[in-house]
Amino acid sequence: MSRSGAQRNQWLLGLAWTSPWWLGFVLLTAGPLALSLYLSFCDYPLLARPVYIGAENYAALVQDPVWWKALGNTVRFAVISIPLCSAFALGIAWLLQQPNRGGAIFQALIFLPTIVPLIATAMIWLWMLNGELGLLNQVLRWFGLRGPNWLGDPVWAMRALVLIALWGVGNTVVIYLAGLNEVPRELYEAAHLDGAGAATTFLRITLPILTPVILFNAVIAIIATFQYFVIPFSIWRATDRGGPGRSAYFYTSYLYDNAFLYLKMGYASAMAWVQLLIILALTGLVFLVGRRVGYRP
Amino acid sequence: MSLRKIIIITLLGVPAGALLLFGPRRTADVPCDRTIVRYWESWAGVEGRAVQELIDEFNRTVGAQRGVFVQYVSLGSMIHERLLAACAGGDPPDVAGLFAFALPQYAELGALEPLDADLPALGIRPTEFVPALWQIGVYHGRTYGLPSTPFTIAMYYNRRLFRAAGLDPDRPPTTFDELRAFSERLTRTAPDGSLQTVGFLPSPKVLNWWHWCWPFFFGDPLDEQGRYRIDSAAGVRALEWVASYRDRFGAERTQVFEQGLGIVVEGAQNPFMAERVAIIHQGPWMANFIRRYTPDLDYAVAAFPSARPDGSRPVLVCSDLLVLPRGARHPREARLFLGWLMQQPVLERLCKAHGKISPFRTPGPDFFRDHPNPFIQIHHELAASPAAFGYPKMPTWPQIEHDVLTAVNNVWFGLGTPRDEARAAQQRIDAAVAAYERLARMRCLAPVGAADAKASTRAGS
Repeated sequence: MSRSGAQRNQWLLGLAWTSPWWLGFVLLTAGPLALSLYLSFCDYPLLARPVYIGAENYAALVQDPVWWKALGNTVRFAVISIPLCSAFALGIAWLLQQPNRGGAIFQALIFLPTIVPLIATAMIWLWMLNGELGLLNQVLRWFGLRGPNWLGDPVWAMRALVLIALWGVGNTVVIYLAGLNEVPRELYEAAHLDGAGAATTFLRITLPILTPVILFNAVIAIIATFQYFVIPFSIWRATDRGGPGRSAYFYTSYLYDNAFLYLKMGYASAMAWVQLLIILALTGLVFLVGRRVGYRP
Repeated sequence: MSLRKIIIITLLGVPAGALLLFGPRRTADVPCDRTIVRYWESWAGVEGRAVQELIDEFNRTVGAQRGVFVQYVSLGSMIHERLLAACAGGDPPDVAGLFAFALPQYAELGALEPLDADLPALGIRPTEFVPALWQIGVYHGRTYGLPSTPFTIAMYYNRRLFRAAGLDPDRPPTTFDELRAFSERLTRTAPDGSLQTVGFLPSPKVLNWWHWCWPFFFGDPLDEQGRYRIDSAAGVRALEWVASYRDRFGAERTQVFEQGLGIVVEGAQNPFMAERVAIIHQGPWMANFIRRYTPDLDYAVAAFPSARPDGSRPVLVCSDLLVLPRGARHPREARLFLGWLMQQPVLERLCKAHGKISPFRTPGPDFFRDHPNPFIQIHHELAASPAAFGYPKMPTWPQIEHDVLTAVNNVWFGLGTPRDEARAAQQRIDAAVAAYERLARMRCLAPVGAADAKASTRAGS
């Protein structure tokens, strides 16, 4: 067999061995992605064939007040929850890194909420945050405080969701903990010898070295918050369908409603592509910021 | 073998063995020599068991003779999404249960088989049905759905709470003014001012699932083309009425009260069964829940009050529908099953088990006798009301219903005035309808005839 023939065989063999991945990718990811791009330029009510309508769906998006409302809610949630959860997770990771008894138990307890199915999480918090009977307001009552109507008040609905997000920071904590453990000990020792305090050490050593980890978590959080769906959908589906005054109506909830309730799959596809572009733009921004301020060993 | 290995094997082996021995089994053996008719429904629990019993009977009798086997699949509340995906994917079930509001969507897009031509062969005579109920399955003058388990929505009120408030339990309110006056007398507050029991609240959270229907109680919210308008005089008055309750009982107090009610519909925490709400707007299935969870509850049923100037009592008439999705594998066998199920004695057994009314003008001799709902006759008579109405027959209805819910909620939370909310919601509705109609014209879908839509919605007229 010639050299080129052997190379071709090698190439085919490689393709065959990697086929489970690339076939899956083409059929389950790339194909639907391309199809949804085409559908975003169509009127497609699911039960009838798609009809090409050009960029009409995209033009309709910017004139749709509910789309703006859902986008605004999602951005607001991202702006509040991402920094808050990040700081909270970093704080917990730092505490867990300190030598203490029962550290492994605390780690397990903090990670535990992340393995609870999201529907179960929603049901738990539905009762925890109940305005009259909820555990949280009962505890506040012991201290003589009157808790808010967490899920029934348009102002408090978003805050309640941020609280639920804080409960589920276990994954982020684990990543931060790994990052903290990677910080060279000798840097801390040198800082200590130079008389640096805890705050200075954290700000001048820990934080700069952690920037790649922080940026990674930020990217993951941006993707997750812009696809936020299950918790608000489960909590308010039966009553408000988007929280009081649509205050907890998120981008993906509106996308779902358009696709499966209003039978506007073309419009929903356009929403999905705009969502993807927003996520890509924000991720690019995070990388850009990371390149400027990030730590380079 | 080490102790550790024994423990691991035991921990894994015992549950696996138990699962094999006592785990779930196939509920029915599917015979290989019969044509399988797939029947998808939302019903589960008691309702699911009732329909399964009928299906078993069909499979034992007619099905066995004709070589057909019906396989029942309960999809719960997700049936709409599943059915949609199956129809879009070209593999729909042979028979399906469909929510009434979704019929125009499916019918207009050609996803359902019209049944008119088959009715004589199936032994189904539309004239035998209550007109308002038959009309629910009709769209564009064609029959796409058959009423399976119909219902009317009435006023359920707590007689014990009426007596405790000094009201005559045999004289429920008949007008909205009386409803308000009764409600105030029935409301009880705790020393800290919080609400303990309320007479009636129009909030969508207090078992008022049909928030969009309040305008019908004030007049006619449909325009000449049969389109629902929340900015109509009736629509605005309905929103003002919602706001008046909020103002009277206090926005914050009522919201905290609602939160305490929980989300349970079937269970002892249901606010009506827990005696926290004295008057509700609900359907005949309540009797099944009450008998099961609070059998001692002293309650009664009557037509819901009205604010119409002519004093007529509007009634929401609705039904689950049986449809044949287009493109199913066994349409002939599906029709055989449908014809059998729609026989009056068979269908009435199902309706009875579900606690619902009969779709037939003249129910069978035993229908009312041992019906689980002691007030079923009232529900049945309400279906014949001249002021009966159903879901507006608009293909964009799910979106409209969502916008109306937002308007009602915003008014309830004091986020906007009734007039402003009605205007804002109507703008969104108009935009959705205009966009749909433009695209429908492009698809050459026939627009719904004005008279047809209006007559269908005002099903009882």
